[in-house]
Amino acid sequence: MKVTRNIFMWVSLLALWSCENVLDLKPLDKLDSETLFSDPEGVKLYLANLYYQTPIEDFTYFFNGFNINTGDPNNSGIAPAIQTDEAIGSEFAGLSPWGSGDFAWWDQGYKLIRDVNLLIEAVPTLNISDNEKKVLLGEGSFIRSFAYFALAKRYGGVPLITSPQEYGGDVEALKVPRSTEKETWDFILQEADVAIENLPESFAGGERRATKWAAYALKSRAALHAASLAKFWDKSPLSGTAVDQKLVGLDASEADRYYLACIEASEAIMDSKRFNLYQSSPASPQEAAENYRRLFEDPNKALEEVIFIKGYALPGTGTGHNYDIWYNPNQTSNGWPHPGRMNPTLELVDSYESYSNPGESSPIVTTLDGMVGDDNGFDRNKSYKRFSVENPYQLFEDKDARLWGTVILPGTTWKDKRIIIQGGYVLPDGSAKIETKESVTHNGMTYHTYGAPDWTQYSGFDTHAGNMTRTGFGFKKFLQLDDNVTPSWNQSTTDWIAFRYAEILLNHAEAVLESNYTADDARSKAEKSLNSIRRRAAHTVDIPLTLDNVLRERKIELAFENKRYWDLVRRREYHLLFNNATKHALVPLLDLRVEPAQYIFVRREVSRGTPLTFPPQYYYKPIPGIGSNGLVQNPQY
Amino acid sequence: MKKMKSSLFHGMAPAIYMGVAVQLWFTTSVFADREVPMEIEIIQNNTFVVSGQVTSSVDGLGIPAVNILIKGTYTGTISDSEGSYTIELPMGNETLVFSSIGYLTQEVQVKGNTRLNVVLQEDTQNLDEFVVVGYGEQKKENLTAAISNITSKEIQTTTHSSLAQKLQGKVAGLQIRQNSGAPGDFNTMINIRGFGSPLYVIDGIARDGASEFQRLNPEDIESISVLKDASAAIYGLNAANGVIIVTTKRGSKGETTFQYNGVLGIQSPTNVPEMANAAQWMEMRNDADINIGKSPYLSQEELQKYQGGLPGYESTQWYDETMKKWAIQQQHSISAQGGNESVTYFTSIGYLKEEGLLKSNDINYEKYDFRTNLTAKLTDNLVADLNIMGRYDKRSTPGENFFNIFRGAISSLPSHAPYANGNPSYPGLVTDGQSVNPIALSDRELTGYSEEENKFFQSSVALTYEFPFLKNLKVKGLASFDNNHYMGKSLFKSYKLYTYDETGDRYIPTELRKPSTIHNNNADNNRSTLQAHLLYNTSLNDRHNIGTTLVYEQRRGWGRSSALSREYQFFTNDQIDQAGTNNMRNSGMESEYASISYLGRLTYDYVGKYLLEVAARYDGSYRYHPDKRWGLFPVISGGWRISEEDFFRNNIRFVTNLKFRGSYGLVGQDAGNPFQYIPGFSTSGGGGYEFVNGNYLTGAASPAIVNPNLTWFESNIKDIGVELGLFRGKFNLEFDVYQRDRTGLLAYRNVTLPNTFGGTLPEENLNSDRVRGIEFSVSHNNNIGDFQYNIEGNFNFGRTMNVYVERGPFVNSMDKWRSGAANRWSDVVWGYDLEGQFRNEEEVVFAPIQNGELGNTRELPGDFKYRDANGDGVIDGNDNVPLFWGGNPKMHYGLTLSASWKGFDMNALLQGSGNYSVRFTHAYATLFWAEGNHPAYFYDRWHKADPYNPDSEWVPGKWPASRLVQDMGSMYAESSAWRKDASYVRLKSLELGYTLPPAVLGHIGLKNVRVYANGHNLFTVTDPYVKAFDPEKIEGQLNTGWVYPLTMSYNLGLNVRF
Repeated sequence: MKVTRNIFMWVSLLALWSCENVLDLKPLDKLDSETLFSDPEGVKLYLANLYYQTPIEDFTYFFNGFNINTGDPNNSGIAPAIQTDEAIGSEFAGLSPWGSGDFAWWDQGYKLIRDVNLLIEAVPTLNISDNEKKVLLGEGSFIRSFAYFALAKRYGGVPLITSPQEYGGDVEALKVPRSTEKETWDFILQEADVAIENLPESFAGGERRATKWAAYALKSRAALHAASLAKFWDKSPLSGTAVDQKLVGLDASEADRYYLACIEASEAIMDSKRFNLYQSSPASPQEAAENYRRLFEDPNKALEEVIFIKGYALPGTGTGHNYDIWYNPNQTSNGWPHPGRMNPTLELVDSYESYSNPGESSPIVTTLDGMVGDDNGFDRNKSYKRFSVENPYQLFEDKDARLWGTVILPGTTWKDKRIIIQGGYVLPDGSAKIETKESVTHNGMTYHTYGAPDWTQYSGFDTHAGNMTRTGFGFKKFLQLDDNVTPSWNQSTTDWIAFRYAEILLNHAEAVLESNYTADDARSKAEKSLNSIRRRAAHTVDIPLTLDNVLRERKIELAFENKRYWDLVRRREYHLLFNNATKHALVPLLDLRVEPAQYIFVRREVSRGTPLTFPPQYYYKPIPGIGSNGLVQNPQY
Repeated sequence: MKKMKSSLFHGMAPAIYMGVAVQLWFTTSVFADREVPMEIEIIQNNTFVVSGQVTSSVDGLGIPAVNILIKGTYTGTISDSEGSYTIELPMGNETLVFSSIGYLTQEVQVKGNTRLNVVLQEDTQNLDEFVVVGYGEQKKENLTAAISNITSKEIQTTTHSSLAQKLQGKVAGLQIRQNSGAPGDFNTMINIRGFGSPLYVIDGIARDGASEFQRLNPEDIESISVLKDASAAIYGLNAANGVIIVTTKRGSKGETTFQYNGVLGIQSPTNVPEMANAAQWMEMRNDADINIGKSPYLSQEELQKYQGGLPGYESTQWYDETMKKWAIQQQHSISAQGGNESVTYFTSIGYLKEEGLLKSNDINYEKYDFRTNLTAKLTDNLVADLNIMGRYDKRSTPGENFFNIFRGAISSLPSHAPYANGNPSYPGLVTDGQSVNPIALSDRELTGYSEEENKFFQSSVALTYEFPFLKNLKVKGLASFDNNHYMGKSLFKSYKLYTYDETGDRYIPTELRKPSTIHNNNADNNRSTLQAHLLYNTSLNDRHNIGTTLVYEQRRGWGRSSALSREYQFFTNDQIDQAGTNNMRNSGMESEYASISYLGRLTYDYVGKYLLEVAARYDGSYRYHPDKRWGLFPVISGGWRISEEDFFRNNIRFVTNLKFRGSYGLVGQDAGNPFQYIPGFSTSGGGGYEFVNGNYLTGAASPAIVNPNLTWFESNIKDIGVELGLFRGKFNLEFDVYQRDRTGLLAYRNVTLPNTFGGTLPEENLNSDRVRGIEFSVSHNNNIGDFQYNIEGNFNFGRTMNVYVERGPFVNSMDKWRSGAANRWSDVVWGYDLEGQFRNEEEVVFAPIQNGELGNTRELPGDFKYRDANGDGVIDGNDNVPLFWGGNPKMHYGLTLSASWKGFDMNALLQGSGNYSVRFTHAYATLFWAEGNHPAYFYDRWHKADPYNPDSEWVPGKWPASRLVQDMGSMYAESSAWRKDASYVRLKSLELGYTLPPAVLGHIGLKNVRVYANGHNLFTVTDPYVKAFDPEKIEGQLNTGWVYPLTMSYNLGLNVRF
């Protein structure tokens, strides 16, 4: 009995032990390729990661790279505009402190290229329709063209790798030398052509995938870039092995070929009649300013102009962006501790036309003598134009509507708040207190240098926490007016226009002018385009098609769309513009010499600025890792 | 089966009907108490004298210093050098108690004899002390491995909420460092011999996790064993850093004994640096402008107002406004144990509460636990062990983490006031040094809260069957299931801070941290263990002792977690469903793991002289490729007890134990993420894309290159030790040297793929390192009459060296010197060699250039001057030299002194660590960091005699002249100006206790009552700069030092047995 019982007990215990392959667990977070690629929805999952990596210079593109929106992406908000003449950061001066490593993109570029190559290689093997294969091939080529374009404009000629490499233990077999810069640009355009060839004109359901038109737009931009490089090499020639081997540099004779490619691609879009300028004939400058602002606040309302969008949906780490928290003026920070980082320069504000003087930049005149160009700050002996405390922005009344849509001007209203930007005051005795925190009582009234007693109540010039503009201007373009974006990281979901019609028109006009292209009535087409963009900004007088007019229009229309940086590079103007250069501010001062007190404006260098110089070797970035990839380094690194 | 059931029932009975037992027992003991005092009264005036000799059963010689007491009193005498004694005692039926260390205590009834010779038996129990080892226990004298053991009594001499703190300094080779003092934090660093985080085994089950270990109720612990050498190999994978084995108490036969322990105490910070006051800060801020040639920051009149503390110019001590001077802690536990022939039990409940140091009282920790360990004899040969443990704990903090609160208390400017217009309803908008008003942040009402609740359930059932036909053959089956449920809830409210507008008499609000959010996080983790043991011990010819253990073990774990969060449009209630539906978020994940092991051990000794042990474990893990997942981890160890040899024993009699031992074995440690052998697309690590407006699609990342050969890293552990016992255990010494060599540490192969490849190589088992150290402990215990004392010291010094480090070829020998890591000690910090401070402007001018392109233009008299190590006239990266040990202590030591006299007892523990350094950043080591406040010590600085006269003399000080960060030269470079040796020695604990005499207890019906007072972290000796931060505390997040202060505590305790 006892023995039976014991046996029974041990058998039942052993039953508990039965270890049906205890160790054969499977990972809970991985998919195999058959599962992923056998369904178009699965393919889309893979494409999502490819589009995500595509080097679109959007809201998450900063000096330290692309997709800066994970975790705590604290980079002081240094967007490309801060490295150009468009703006300055409220904390740092830009350019030199950051060195040649800024806006670099190499390792991630080749990672994207590997990922795309994996797709392109897989396409023929997939069990999907030929048409679906064609589209995937087109998208792959589009992204690959985009990626090599991003590499070429930074590094010149690069290794062209068109299929996924296998590592079998031999590192040498993986080394691919640089192609010449010409071969690289030709490959970019050729890939764009493959994309154009294979991509559909649209996707059902309005999916933001590359279309034929997006591929044309990419080609238009890339070709213009290549053409400019060829044409303007001589403005800042470099020398060295990379130059000798033509790894950097294009022959001037190539320019027209690339300009032509730009013109043709642009015209394909123009002739398709699918696109138009958003709100092309406004009734007033006010309406034009509001239209222009709305275009960027929500491009989905302006689909006639938009060729390709990169969208933002979920707010949160890795998904949203930070424009609203970085760039709102201090007063509308909504509780965020680091606003006000982007300060548009006086240089940019000066370049906008005034309606009364079309076809010219119209620098801000602050004195009654009408003199332009006195940037030396306050002079008690000068007679300044005075403006009422309520309406200091009268100074800008005649300026192009796009200034109002791009920049927050002192005293204007933003998010139902009067944005107070004041840099100091002039005491009744004629002495001035500028950019120092102080208050004074005069005739029973207390005045504060920054326009209000407490730092929460103004947006300019105080050094407090680096939150105040030091140019006298706030940033407006792309910001949400009605939505109060949650004051934490990655909460903005504004969509980014990667290509829009206005850019294509401007690419076209520039290419036509630079290459003296006359066929197909191109010049009158271009002149029409130029003026249609201006009309959308409420201009009523047409101006002639000149290079100055086109380039000014480009600077104004595309301000802060991260084009300026590359425009200065490709046209080799950076080193000319930034040769010990400082950026400028327009400082509103409250003049207590008159009763009631009135505003005057003073032009001066930004405070805490460092003179900036662009060393010509920065036109190409240093190639990282030459020790192991065996590549020829770019000149002067 | 019927019988089994009924005995189980019997086993439970005492636990269930504890109440009845209490009553019964009270009745009997009160009855007994009545008789004793009556007798004492009758005979108290009649005395007589007894004398005699006490001899040893071993050699028949007299034993000196035997403690002889009249039973039930503290009256007594001690024997002389020959063992002779004389004692006067009251007439009657008296009993003498003879006790001496190394011998069994013996009670002898006098029965009127005047001559009484007593032979004391050697305390084999004491010598035959059993030590818990992996999957069993062994006689201490037969151990061949480096295993330390500490028992309940020694653990309990320190009062702290973390078990780790109660062990610190007490066990040789057990390196413990308290990282922060936050209630319920349990992040104390525990490390055996510098190996890394050990494996924790509680009651035979691997229950890993240092925080789980630290949460144990110390009242429940019987003993803790620390496997410090290759003997850990019996635990195979993940035991490479050593093993800590905890054994909880079990009951013993006899009447039920209850025990109550209670401690009540106060805690206050050991040290917190004093911050500059408003006048100091303003003077220094003023200097900061003057020193770089700007006009003064303040006019002289303004500055004088701060110096005079005039109305509106008062100084705020933010730390004092935010933090309390002290906080209360209390611990209570009650246990019962006892049993009869068939069932024994131990059961306990415990409670602990610890308050935080915030004035808002919004940091709190509470813990409840219970444990029941039951042993039931089911049949003659079958014994069941049932262990059940449950715990609930809860930790609450305000809706802003302590780091930010403390940052506010440090960085807020003393010239700013806590409240707008002094009105406590309006917390002021203070945002200095990137902080926010700490008083507001620490207020739960204002900022919300975070609460973490943990529920633990741990259980095991074991059946042990002893074969009737073969003595000492046993088979044991064990099943265990543990569960941990975590619930976290956070409410982060947006809050308003105010500025006061005098002109309009308005409070202008600024709302911070919008919108309010609520978060619920849940995690449920489970662990099951199955074990089958086969045990056999036998002795051949009474000379060859053989023990074998064979075990099969299977472990599985699985868990699931989820996190929910929502935002409020308008805050209503702290319920997730009451929050808004915008931006609702949720996430979750699951995980599982499994392992299978076969292990065996053979122990052999020849008459206790020659000892040998061989063990091996064959482990399989789910993490690796099926071809790579099984590993064998063997260990061999041996010992020679030379003191058992006749030639030794007969000649050197005062040496009672001398053992040489050595061990060598191989242990493994899991490396890298699991499943690295499976290629596949992953939905994590890839970016997403918005194909359709408003619709985000998470992308799939392309497969990484996989490494099917990835496996654990291997540790070879060698240990040689000697154990010495003199004078029957009155003096003991243990000394070990050890070395651990690890191979297969993960690294990326340095084939450096061209960066155009677009992928990265997988991790491989490439690197190796070596830990070497020495360790010893010495103890001495003795009694001089009623006075008993014990001194125990331990010491450990261990360092880690990188042996192989995968990397590319060095460019030149200089590169090798600067960047090489192989064959060098790790945790070494390079810095400039500090030569002193510039004494005047000439020195600055003629000194080597130490601030790069700026030359020495920013250096001023008083600034730090560095050695130009390579003599090139420029101080730059090339002048860095290896100067400091890094942040991990390499040396640990402890000294315990305990003594008792009659009812009094005393225990003191000195503990120290050395060979490491600390370096702070931010406010503690930067002037005007982010324009916030800094410690007051910086006030002792170089400055101009008259700040308003730039031509006045420099007045020397300890620190450089004040300047804003951007105006400083190279002052903040790594040098001994900032990196400080943090070696310390501290009075870790001091306890004084008094046990009421048994006679008194008789009256009140209690078996034992002890009251005690103790203190923790009472006194510290260390570098004066470091002392202000506490040398033991880590630098913490961003190396700022803004970690919850370590605390000292004063406690009163009561210990009652009845």
